[in-house]
Amino acid sequence: MATNARLPRLAPAPPRSIVRSLLLTLPIAVWSLLMFFHPGTHTDPKSRIAAAMTALFMTALFFMMMRTGKTYRWRRWFFVTLGILFPVGFIYNMVIARGTMGIPIEEMIAGRTPFCFMPIPLLILPAALTKTLVFPGSILSSGRGIAAMVGLWLAITLVLGKGWCAYACFFGGIEEGMAAVPSRAKIRKIDPRWRYGPWAVLLAMVLLSLALFEPAYCMWLCPFKAVSEYVAARNTVGLVQNGIFVLLFAALVITLPLLTRKRTQCSFFCPFGAFQSLFNKISIFEVKIDQTRCKSCTVCQTACPNMSLSKESIARGETLLTCMKCGACVDACPRQAAVWHIKGTELAWKPERARLMFLYSAWALAVMFGGSIIAQGLVTILHFLA
Amino acid sequence: MTLRAKLGYTAAALTMLVALLTPFLLMGIFSKGFAALGLHVDEMYSGGPKVRTVQNGAYSIAIHRPVYPHMLQNEKPFVQLDWSPVSALPAHVSDLVDVDGDGQPDIRVSFDVPNNPKAPLHVNVEPLNPRYEAMRNAGKEKYSRLIVRVDDAILVRVPLANP
Repeated sequence: MATNARLPRLAPAPPRSIVRSLLLTLPIAVWSLLMFFHPGTHTDPKSRIAAAMTALFMTALFFMMMRTGKTYRWRRWFFVTLGILFPVGFIYNMVIARGTMGIPIEEMIAGRTPFCFMPIPLLILPAALTKTLVFPGSILSSGRGIAAMVGLWLAITLVLGKGWCAYACFFGGIEEGMAAVPSRAKIRKIDPRWRYGPWAVLLAMVLLSLALFEPAYCMWLCPFKAVSEYVAARNTVGLVQNGIFVLLFAALVITLPLLTRKRTQCSFFCPFGAFQSLFNKISIFEVKIDQTRCKSCTVCQTACPNMSLSKESIARGETLLTCMKCGACVDACPRQAAVWHIKGTELAWKPERARLMFLYSAWALAVMFGGSIIAQGLVTILHFLA
Repeated sequence: MTLRAKLGYTAAALTMLVALLTPFLLMGIFSKGFAALGLHVDEMYSGGPKVRTVQNGAYSIAIHRPVYPHMLQNEKPFVQLDWSPVSALPAHVSDLVDVDGDGQPDIRVSFDVPNNPKAPLHVNVEPLNPRYEAMRNAGKEKYSRLIVRVDDAILVRVPLANP
């Protein structure tokens, strides 16, 4: 497979000077302060400490991105932290509010089911045909309403496209963390046809949601119900649903990432990820392969956690539609052939400028959205420590 | 620099602007725009709009419009009735309810109101009009056949008989 050991490796770019890296980090530091310390927030010391820790963490990671020129390596710290701390804060709040992670039918009828982004593609057809949202939540409710999440998703999607899955998704970090555990993949040959899995699940779930008038993925297949909230098991059907959630979580989020070093839930299963891929078409930022430098060593293909590169796509100088702009291929390429790119511009011309423009946009949103979730998780931990 | 490249950089700069405006402006605009689309949550969850309220001493009974399932939804049509406030309800409720507003009672609904708000509820519904189905000691089996406490109200959903 990878024969990069014999390839002439281009000398990596020297690290930026500390002063220049600090100057480049300054806007993100100011943004972090603005996001975490705007007037009216933090009434108690624990949330102030959590906000300060998060602001420092996000700023430090951005500084390291600027200093080392590596993206994926430092983004992963953020993303795994987000994936671990989201359930911590979320489950704690659920248990405080209702005493259980299970959603009782009363909460669904009251429209108090928190709305995450996963069902968004499932709502479109029923909403278009009948003006009905097939979700037991509220359209307008503070913070967790459907409108708030849709507004946030739309804004982030305009900026990042499929980059949502690498800078905003609060579920993917768990499997990215699992995929980072082994030094080598036990399963290296994966049939490329598995890439169609998310599209098949998306199609099935969209049609099923329309037919059953319920968010079918949330009711039956979402592996992350195991670490967030699930349908309260009040009968055999509920027990089966919860069994499926736990099995899918154990297989797709824990076991397979450990064996393959890939984000297998995202690569083979996630219907939201497939849907989100469509928005890469409108995103101005992308990753390209510079054919003048590429020696087809496929190191980038091996490094990609989402199976978004194939030999054919590399030969075309492109990533696949599912590329989430995590930067793993750019970091891994020994010849700097994988580059950040702004559509319409010349490929080899100042890729670092494209990277900076993308990273400022992506990190600003990561601080705003993911950062607030990390801070919430830290508040929960500080609460227990105290 | 070509025109395409200039347009590309302009779009990239605008994208950065979008990112910066997201928390202050765009998120709110998009959320309000979505809310203004006139969509509503499926009535199987929300119970449908209230059409009448009947005062019964210190408490009232709100009667909702009947809800009919969509396509393959595995539920029966039902009508939702809300008793509120819970604090004004007697220990045992047994009310005749004119659901369709024709001046004749359609069902008799009976349930106990435990002091503990988390205690399970059970309801009996005796139909006086064949349009409604009977319920015997029902809890919260399905969306179309249940009794639950939500905030300061007790909600009963009575299934409608097949026409």
